[in-house]
Amino acid sequence: MKDRITCVWLGAALLAAGLIHSAGAAAQEPGLTEKTIKIGVFSPLSGANMAYGFDVINAAKMYYSKVNKEGGVHGRQIELVIEDDRCNANDLVSAVKKLVEQEQVFMLNGGSCSAAAVAAKDYVVRSKVPWVMLNASADGALYPPTDYIFGAFSITQYAVGGSVVDFGQQHLKAKKIGYINHDDAYGAWNLEAAQVTAKEVDVQLAVESINPNITDVTAPLVKLRAANPDMIAITTYAKPAALIIKKAHELGITKPIVLTVTGTANMSQLVENVGNKDALKNFYVQDVLADAPGGPKIKWVYDMYKEYYPDLDAKPDHPQAYMPYGIAPAMSVVKALQDAGPNPTREKVAENLRNQKFDSGVMAGPIEFGQNDRAAQESTIYLKFDGTQQTLIPGSFQSRWKYKG
Amino acid sequence: MTLDVVFLFLQQGVASGLVIGSVYALLALAIVVIFKTSDVPNFSQGEMVMAAGYIALYLLVFRSMPLWIVMPATILAAYAGAALFRRLVLNQVARANGSPVNLVIATLGLSYVLRGFVRQTGFGDTPRSFPPVVEPQSIMIGQAAVTTLDLVILATAVVVMAAFFWMFKYTKIGRAMRAVGMNPKAAQLVGVDLTRIHMIVWGLSGGISAIAALLISPKVLMTADMGSIVTLGFAAAIVGGFTSLPGAVVGGFLIGIIENLVGLFISSRAIVLAPFVAIMLVLVIRPQGLFGGRVEIKKV
Repeated sequence: MKDRITCVWLGAALLAAGLIHSAGAAAQEPGLTEKTIKIGVFSPLSGANMAYGFDVINAAKMYYSKVNKEGGVHGRQIELVIEDDRCNANDLVSAVKKLVEQEQVFMLNGGSCSAAAVAAKDYVVRSKVPWVMLNASADGALYPPTDYIFGAFSITQYAVGGSVVDFGQQHLKAKKIGYINHDDAYGAWNLEAAQVTAKEVDVQLAVESINPNITDVTAPLVKLRAANPDMIAITTYAKPAALIIKKAHELGITKPIVLTVTGTANMSQLVENVGNKDALKNFYVQDVLADAPGGPKIKWVYDMYKEYYPDLDAKPDHPQAYMPYGIAPAMSVVKALQDAGPNPTREKVAENLRNQKFDSGVMAGPIEFGQNDRAAQESTIYLKFDGTQQTLIPGSFQSRWKYKG
Repeated sequence: MTLDVVFLFLQQGVASGLVIGSVYALLALAIVVIFKTSDVPNFSQGEMVMAAGYIALYLLVFRSMPLWIVMPATILAAYAGAALFRRLVLNQVARANGSPVNLVIATLGLSYVLRGFVRQTGFGDTPRSFPPVVEPQSIMIGQAAVTTLDLVILATAVVVMAAFFWMFKYTKIGRAMRAVGMNPKAAQLVGVDLTRIHMIVWGLSGGISAIAALLISPKVLMTADMGSIVTLGFAAAIVGGFTSLPGAVVGGFLIGIIENLVGLFISSRAIVLAPFVAIMLVLVIRPQGLFGGRVEIKKV
């Protein structure tokens, strides 16, 4: 009898210790309470590059809302703290610091602009806060891999550059590709992969690297015209891309033009900025979704957007082209939290992310990280675009570039 | 590179350089005319261009007004805005503390106000195209491809510059401006109303900025940051000689041509560097600029 009483007391003591330990863990982890988990979200919500992030955040928000309605993650409601990073390194780093230090978020889910996102790398790694990017490729923050940064849910620049060369060689039978990229790190990443892929598929590249703020693109295009390529690949942001397409038409360049996903943030604005649909007669765009925008495979995302944002949906420029890209990163965050169990820690979540693999049903390929891989998604699709209609090109196109450590 | 390609690049570089250079020349003129009469470099010149562009875009696209109303309305608005800024802000700053540094800081303040205002309206949230005055059809001049819009830009800029020089040289107002530029105190003693002349100078500078905006906006996409193009206007002014109006014009054309030739013969990466290399070379070889006259030493 005495032994039984001792056992009961011992059990109770162990249970109490367990509870105290759990409560302690929850208390020690910033942004975590018994009922809520705080996530810091950031992206450009204003300024000339807001199309890169505004609706991406909206997509993530609606996914988190859905999860909350279904009971949250292990009973905890997801609480979002949202900051505007204006697609600029200084603002992004300030936003991240504010979220981590002042708002005390549990983890981060943000970033739509690569160069800006890379600027926060050192701080995030030092702070040991798991950071799941939104749609930034930010290759510089993903390679070499760190324990806390996960990204490229849309695509890496290494995949962008290699894939467009593969598409040119396979679909357009190009032997020589005129390749226009930014003259910064962003452009260097995609060019490196384009060169690796071009070598492998026996394609010649005529490269013109331009400043992202260039206002007169005559010189690079006259040089490309003189090089006589079979197609022109543009891997810049939307603004220089529109100037290049317009100038190519003015210079009488009729070869196919392929615009990578880096410049497709607002297709209706692109058409307006090019100003002449004849310039888009032989025009292709790269995308990273599982289907053409609004296509049957991803229709549920657009339906959900309509349900959550009826006012925005009624506007002509919404949903923005990158809107669905916000779903997969939010799925990744939720999955990592779920897998971390009822008492998550930042370390547990980061560990789960490092081994994460799932099919979002939204992006062209599976979301997959590995012990040496922090880029979630590397597949692309291509669409022929005449200024109004987008037609899916069948086939799979891949970069040959691989991280060698 | 074959000889054919060299000739093609030369022709294209000069043709495109003249077109874009004519806009830089206008901007340089707008900068120099203010500097000549008040010794103040106007660091809000770029934002004046940007704001004028957005006024025109708003009237034309969002208010669907016809171009023949939009153009004079934009120029008038820019003229009035700049003249009022001189009268209401700079005069006060000058009166409060005569240091030119405060005037320069006030122009910087205006640049932030204008940029912030355009951002607040939401129009600057996406790069926008400004409808061109004429449909840009391609034309070959030798082997160089230009558009009808390019020719209109060049012709308009040349006409505006010619009209400005005529006004500056042959009208009473122009003579008064020159007098103020040479010696404001003496000009005042002979009856020139300094406040009025400064307002007119700023107004004219605003008007020229508006014309530059109407010309350049269809070629570059509009954003709240498009005022940075004025850096090239400053480069043109420095190359030409900061106090010389003809120098500003020549400097504008030179910068336009150099930019294009560097892009074609050296590297597209070097386009943005070319104007600054030109500035450094001019400052080292001829610090007063190509048309700046002798270096004057002021007693302090």
